Amino acid sequence: MRSFLKKNWISSLLLVVILILAYIAFSRGGWNLIYGGIKSGITILVREIPLLTAAFLTAGLIQALVKREFITRWLGKDSGLKGILLACIGGGLIPGGPYVYYPIAGALLSSGAGLGVLVAFVTAKNLWSVSRLPYEFALLGSSITMRRYLITFLIPPLLGLLVEWIFGGYIQKIRENVKE
Amino acid sequence: MNTSTIILWIITLTLFLFSWKKGADTVKRGTQLAWSTTKKNGLLIILAFIIAGFVNILSPEELVTAWIGPDTGWQGIITAEFLGTLLPGGPYVVFPIIAILVQAGAGLGPVVSLITSYSTQSLLTISFELPFMGWRFTAIRWTIGLLIPLLAGSIAMIIWG
Repeated sequence: MRSFLKKNWISSLLLVVILILAYIAFSRGGWNLIYGGIKSGITILVREIPLLTAAFLTAGLIQALVKREFITRWLGKDSGLKGILLACIGGGLIPGGPYVYYPIAGALLSSGAGLGVLVAFVTAKNLWSVSRLPYEFALLGSSITMRRYLITFLIPPLLGLLVEWIFGGYIQKIRENVKE
Repeated sequence: MNTSTIILWIITLTLFLFSWKKGADTVKRGTQLAWSTTKKNGLLIILAFIIAGFVNILSPEELVTAWIGPDTGWQGIITAEFLGTLLPGGPYVVFPIIAILVQAGAGLGPVVSLITSYSTQSLLTISFELPFMGWRFTAIRWTIGLLIPLLAGSIAMIIWG
């Protein structure tokens, strides 16, 4: 039970949320409303299948086209503005979840990348992400997605510069932090 | 078929063409990756859409408008930021739920704050970050990062209010 929860804890969490929502639905309209909720969810899912299929294919193909070694080699030891900008582009291109990009960021950290470069990489991965774009576009529509990308466009490099400027000197301590 | 679907499929086909030019192997690996992501997250996706379905029929318009509606200003942006740190899972889990909140009347400022907060401040992601980057890095990145959703949400609110 415990290892099951550990492995599937997002599903378990979502299931708890569903049970709470089902309880609210039941208290408002009995079994009918519970049935209605599930039906509505499945209907929306079926409606989105053509979009989701394209989104998953796009993400998969980007993943196959952009190689991990390429990104790591590319970002090397450069810090400063150029390094930060390259890190942003690398972060935006690299596909996959946190179990993919944090190992890469960790490798960059131990190979000598600066703090600003690392922060820019992680932030751009999450704000510029090319592989997340199809999902956001498919599910939230072009108007919200375009505005969101536009607004957050400058954030990764600016945050990288800001953090490098204030905390850049701590990088050695941060590196030791991981080695311990 | 709406415009989003058509545009997304054009992108998909273009990428297919690119991959195919690089060799049949790349196409195969790309589709395999897509299929394994789908398989691995299939249950999560179904659960997420059932949540979206329940939120949809419980019609929480009043609740959504009161907390993160277009007229909630700063308060809505901060509420959305807090909500964003709690959203678990990949984009295919989170975006269906955000989409329902948009339909139920969430304002643009709070929505931008919500997406940004989920992207950079997610508490779930920290559990992956800590072992690779150490607590010092996480503390610096996350704390300064708290400003991002506020900033992004406010810009959205000011421009498109």
